[in-house]
Amino acid sequence: MKKLILSLFVLMFCVFAANAQNRTVTGTVLGQDDGQPLPGVSIRLKGSQAGAQSDVAGKYSIQISGNKPVLVFTFIGYASKEVPVGSSNTINLSLASDAAELGEIVVTANSIKREKRTLGYSAPTLNDKELTQGQNSSVTNSLAGKIAGVNITTTSNAPGSSSRIVLRGGSSIAGNNQALIVVDGVPIDNSSVIGGASSLASVDFGNRGNDINPEDVASVTVLKGPAAAALYGARASNGALIITTKTGAKSAKTSITFSSNNAFSSILKLPEFQNEYGQGYHTDIDENGVVSYENDPKENWSWGAPFTGQVQPWGQQIDGVRQEKPYSAVKDNVRDFFKTGFATTNNLSLSGGGDKSTFFLGINSLNSNSINPGNKDVYNKYGVRFNGTTEFSNNFYAGVSVNYSKVNSNLPAGGQDDGSVYDNLLQTPRDIDITGLKDLNNKYNGYGITKADGVLSNQYGYYGAYTLNPYYIIDNYNNYDDVSRITGNFNIGYKPTSWLDIKERVGIDSYSERRRLQKPKYSFLPADEAGNYSADNVQTSNGSYEIDQLNVNEFVHDLMVTATHKFNEDFQGSLMIGNNIRQRYVSTVNTATNASGGLVVPGWYNLANSNGPVNVITDNISRRRLVGLYADLNLSYKNMLFLEATARNDWSSTLPTANNSFFYPSVSMSFLFSELLKESSVSNWLSYGKIRTSYAQVGNDTDPYQLLSTYSRGEILGSFGSTTFPFGNVAALMAGSTIGNANLKPEKTNSFEVGTELGFFKSRLNVDFSYYANSSKNQILAIPTPNSTGYGFSVVNAGEIQNKGVELSLRGTVLKATDFSMELYGTYTKNNSKVVSLLPGISQVSVGGYSGMSIVAAVGRTYGEFYGVTNRTDEQGRTIVSATTGLPLQTATAQYLGSYNPKYQASLGTNINYKNWTLNVLFDTKHGGVFFSRTKDIMAFNGTSAETGGQRFGTVFPNSVTIVNGVSVPNTSVTYSKEDYYPSYADGNNIVDASFVKLRNAGLSYTFSKEQLNSSRIGGLTIGLFGNNLFLWTPKENAYADPEVNSAGAGNAQGFDFSANPSVRNYGLNLKVSF
Amino acid sequence: MFSAKKLMLLLLAGTISLAGCKKYLDVNDNPNNPDSATPALLLPTVEASVGQLIGNSFQVNGGIWAQFWTQSPTASQYRTLDQYNPTNTTYDRPWLTIYRSALINAELIINNPVNSPYAKGMAYVLKAYTFQVATDAFGDIPLGEALKGNEYTSPKYATQELVYDSVFTYIDKGIALLNTATAPAIGAQDMIFQGNTTKWKAFANTLKLKAYLRLSQVNASKAQAGIAAIYAANPAFLTEDASIKYTTTGGNQNPLYNEMVALNRTQNLVASGTTVKAFKANNDPRAFKFYNFVSGGSTDTIAYINQGTYASNSTKRVSTPSVLVGGVAVDDASAVAPVKLMSTSESAFLQAEAVARGWASGSVTALFTSGVTSSFTSVGLTAAQATAYLAAAPAAQLTTTPADQIKTIITQKYFSMCGFQGFEAWTEWRRTGYTDFLVRSAASVLGANTRVALRMLYPNSEITTNANYPGTQLIYTPVWWDK
Repeated sequence: MKKLILSLFVLMFCVFAANAQNRTVTGTVLGQDDGQPLPGVSIRLKGSQAGAQSDVAGKYSIQISGNKPVLVFTFIGYASKEVPVGSSNTINLSLASDAAELGEIVVTANSIKREKRTLGYSAPTLNDKELTQGQNSSVTNSLAGKIAGVNITTTSNAPGSSSRIVLRGGSSIAGNNQALIVVDGVPIDNSSVIGGASSLASVDFGNRGNDINPEDVASVTVLKGPAAAALYGARASNGALIITTKTGAKSAKTSITFSSNNAFSSILKLPEFQNEYGQGYHTDIDENGVVSYENDPKENWSWGAPFTGQVQPWGQQIDGVRQEKPYSAVKDNVRDFFKTGFATTNNLSLSGGGDKSTFFLGINSLNSNSINPGNKDVYNKYGVRFNGTTEFSNNFYAGVSVNYSKVNSNLPAGGQDDGSVYDNLLQTPRDIDITGLKDLNNKYNGYGITKADGVLSNQYGYYGAYTLNPYYIIDNYNNYDDVSRITGNFNIGYKPTSWLDIKERVGIDSYSERRRLQKPKYSFLPADEAGNYSADNVQTSNGSYEIDQLNVNEFVHDLMVTATHKFNEDFQGSLMIGNNIRQRYVSTVNTATNASGGLVVPGWYNLANSNGPVNVITDNISRRRLVGLYADLNLSYKNMLFLEATARNDWSSTLPTANNSFFYPSVSMSFLFSELLKESSVSNWLSYGKIRTSYAQVGNDTDPYQLLSTYSRGEILGSFGSTTFPFGNVAALMAGSTIGNANLKPEKTNSFEVGTELGFFKSRLNVDFSYYANSSKNQILAIPTPNSTGYGFSVVNAGEIQNKGVELSLRGTVLKATDFSMELYGTYTKNNSKVVSLLPGISQVSVGGYSGMSIVAAVGRTYGEFYGVTNRTDEQGRTIVSATTGLPLQTATAQYLGSYNPKYQASLGTNINYKNWTLNVLFDTKHGGVFFSRTKDIMAFNGTSAETGGQRFGTVFPNSVTIVNGVSVPNTSVTYSKEDYYPSYADGNNIVDASFVKLRNAGLSYTFSKEQLNSSRIGGLTIGLFGNNLFLWTPKENAYADPEVNSAGAGNAQGFDFSANPSVRNYGLNLKVSF
Repeated sequence: MFSAKKLMLLLLAGTISLAGCKKYLDVNDNPNNPDSATPALLLPTVEASVGQLIGNSFQVNGGIWAQFWTQSPTASQYRTLDQYNPTNTTYDRPWLTIYRSALINAELIINNPVNSPYAKGMAYVLKAYTFQVATDAFGDIPLGEALKGNEYTSPKYATQELVYDSVFTYIDKGIALLNTATAPAIGAQDMIFQGNTTKWKAFANTLKLKAYLRLSQVNASKAQAGIAAIYAANPAFLTEDASIKYTTTGGNQNPLYNEMVALNRTQNLVASGTTVKAFKANNDPRAFKFYNFVSGGSTDTIAYINQGTYASNSTKRVSTPSVLVGGVAVDDASAVAPVKLMSTSESAFLQAEAVARGWASGSVTALFTSGVTSSFTSVGLTAAQATAYLAAAPAAQLTTTPADQIKTIITQKYFSMCGFQGFEAWTEWRRTGYTDFLVRSAASVLGANTRVALRMLYPNSEITTNANYPGTQLIYTPVWWDK
């Protein structure tokens, strides 16, 4: 294949070299709309083979001969022009864009600009205006609902929070499933490393894709399938987001744009609470069914007596006094804890250019203080971008693009850690006013309180013996993050002749991220004098300080040589061959104070303050390299039939030398059948029609260091603690957890796609439909092995995952009048994923979760199934209960409980323009998936959720049966106690329908007309109101959380609400002014 | 101007430079972890793993089922143990410690290319010890196909009888290696005996005696023959605890204490009425060493709740295990409690039983007295206090009938193991039925009959990953030697 490409290239070269003429005409071609130079315009001498192409500056030069020569200018997406050549040797002209031809230009793989009609695969594009409609601070979140086939999970939707983007279901069982993000031709890192010990106590520091400033973006193209992304090789087997940033315009006056938005945020969805019972638990039921209760003041349980409204003492007795309050529900006690968040975003950009150069300079800031009280929920981001291009006189051109960004934040933990604000909030009894606990100097609220004697004590006055005051957490637990990142590329090109282009691009992405996690050291005894608290109710923690340092450095080089040729009037083609080298270097150092000893001095957060040897959690260096050679052949016939073939061979450092070279091809075709109908009456209603199909294969390597089994430092884990070496002076090594595999082969993904694009009624209505089928084989996985093998995992080449689906996009201008237009658009996506096989004998692999609820890839099932123990049911789905206690029986083994992947997704949006007003609204929905909610679980445990309300004793479990002699008999008599059920029900009960409808974006803006601004120096002014993530509708069953929240960040463990921080809606004002 | 020749040259140069790319791609050597380890570096891992197993998970589980301890009413971590209702998941961690921390590293010592017969001998003894506690806990377990991950991805389970046969073989192999005349010394890398091979041989002999005695109910003749063979070699038995001593340094602390610290110092374990009452009935001063006082009234007492009665004692202040056994969550002195793999008194009691059964020669009384006395002295009491106790305590009266002698020996062994060797105490109760005062936990979910926990459950990890998983055993099904 390589040889073939080479000989083809040489062949084409010889064809070109055959020309020799006698007069030279030069000139510049510009676009009529924007006055920008048009590179790549084909210039042909009519009736001859002679041809040329305009360069990046729109300049061309062509040799002409013959009688009354005529030059034909053609360019994709523009109306062709024929210009007779007079005596002048200079012809400058501008071409008008041809809307009827839908000549949309799409930036495809390796920053290659292509006309959409020529593409054999789906490659939808969003421009900057569509992208920033919802003013979302995340580029990926901004895509939600706008493109079919894209599954975006926005998690909490607060600035900086995680956002996951998966195209067509993802191809990997255990590896990355997110789309590759490419900025200006250079792939950038989108790592999502959750903070904290695990997803059970995580801090969402977001994913690094958030570092891209949406206001810098000119367009985003989504390359959904491997065919589109084949040139990127291995990493794009999950598709790619091709982001192009803004550039200046040549010979244009410098324009200055300032935009600003100020957003408020508030909680989108809180759980529903019961408001009938307060703090405590029941102690007895006598023979008459009379229930006695213990109003235990140290409890987090709300299993106490029904509310009476009577004033009664509560909490601890301090200095002889217990506080009093009415025994009644404080309905909004959790909601009232949160404040309205506020974020302000400012962007200032300058752009322009001279004769031969352009520049764009953008600076931006985002300062957010989200919904938690105080200043411990902050995210600040600053960025500077410079993009410049220039042309040199001798056919050389160059460009540079640099972005620096800096993030510093301090974010709250979720999960069930003692530092989780939300977990402690949810454990507050229904009768306690949380905002009343705010003043930590109040002896009834604080820790280390000062009592009447005026002496600082070692006691706590807060009521809870099992929970911490959330305000104390806010004040004393910190999760700092500092990121400093530079990304960019430098490119230089040379066009020795009109048909040949040689381009070299070097890109770099380098960042340093330093996280500092602080937990206080304390030990407080209850102050209580009333005898309700025992000395065992001590609140104690050794504290800890952890530093997680992550350095990522990625280098990419591409050399691309492109030749184009027009064989004749109807038939033209181009061939690009290229070389790609990339290197990725990651170093991770996570160190903390001694895991058992914690801190010596309270409040001093420094590793020097470790009580015992510093705990080196991770000290890893990882380096990988890849060399690739690729070729891309494009042929077109009559601007109607297009064929593209690509081939790539990679050599990877991570695979065994014998298997480290892998080759993969792709081929795609596009047929514009409407060209054939141009003369017929069909064209009256069908203005554009295209069918396309593609087949592609993509190979993939693996992570570094998978080939050998290794040893690590001796550390023997208990369920919670551990024995860690060195032990005094004794050092130890132990076998690592994974058996390496020295015979790994590359993974292979195959994909097939067929689709159509149709335009009706002069493109008033446009339809885009695709069907695809992808299958990834030979996956490299660390499958779990029985511990009795001596190891926990074994690296294997096994497993196949399949994704099949359809995507439909519709866009239509339903109303159009002089001052008014209304556009409707919508998408529908259905993806069926299936794990076809793993290793023989292995039926499933865990991709996340915890001991009570795994998220697995199981053979024969949808990817991402929940797997856990649940209530036992009979064939009719009725719950089987115990004939003696009336409590549901649990299944003997774990069951499959549904996947987090939705059955389908859809969206519906509109853009309405009336005079200077613009209104946009976008709804989207996901239907059919499920999620795991520990929010539900902890509320069931505490008896605070709405489902724990109502009659708590003496009812039968709804729709239940007992088993009598092996037969289900409806249960009408055996009653159960909710207090016996909810605090310890099976984890399967926490699986909740994840379906939702969201009002994703809404905005109303007013753009001042040129006339209105005439008297001022302002060139443009738009002001508006906007909102994103505004409203949420969920099935009744989901009374707990926004199904998009996730405790495991943007990784493969999704739908995992392990008491994750609630999501927010953002709304505010925006302004954009340019000079 | 550009020419075809130049282009060809350029492409050629590019292709040639790919040859250099082989070197460029040679960066897959793991810089983070070594790919080999010497026996001396692996040995402490094996020992500390056994310490973590015996001193933490099996200590808690055994301590509750031997009824030294019960679940505290003010916490909830071990309720399911008091209910005889642990999940399979409960045993994921101990199983992992057995196979992935202790046994695999012992195996890697034994198969190590480095010449180190002493370390290999110790590894064999520890392998025997670990396989024995594993089979005592779970019954049939992976043996021959275990620890060979490249060959067997789903190891088959061997019968308990076969495991015991292998235990004897491993001990013999270990003793043979320990008898090597000259070999590199191990020194401080051996956390149990600091490289002293004489002590290791004594440990190996005593372990073998213990293993044969375990077969007393299922195959007495084999036990008798095996013990006769041990004695025929004129063996030395253990006269010093085979234990690991911990320090206050974080990560080097007593594993049980370390676990409690990691649980934010929650005190889950408290004194069970079963044992406290028995200590009281014998006026045993050791009770005050194994448990903490609760101050109150005029005298300091040990406050207990009956086994499994956490639900009905929600406000009661209960005594905790003592710092001596590493049992006080809020007291840093618990950090230095040792973990005893086998104790001096246990050694004496095992010999006493062998003699009482007529399978070995010696004086039952002398060995029994030695066992009780060393139990007293090991907790800081005097030999005189032991003598007084032996004279007066009803449970310490050694009669002449072998059956009664065995009852008294095992009962005294049980008392000596309080807080230190919960798993072994529960295991010996399963074998002999002594002591005879254990009760059914009030929290039992096993129904209103006499069912109690007689084995640990196979871990969930085996159910979900081992294609040769033999099927779940009920918790009240006895193991093979438990007749």
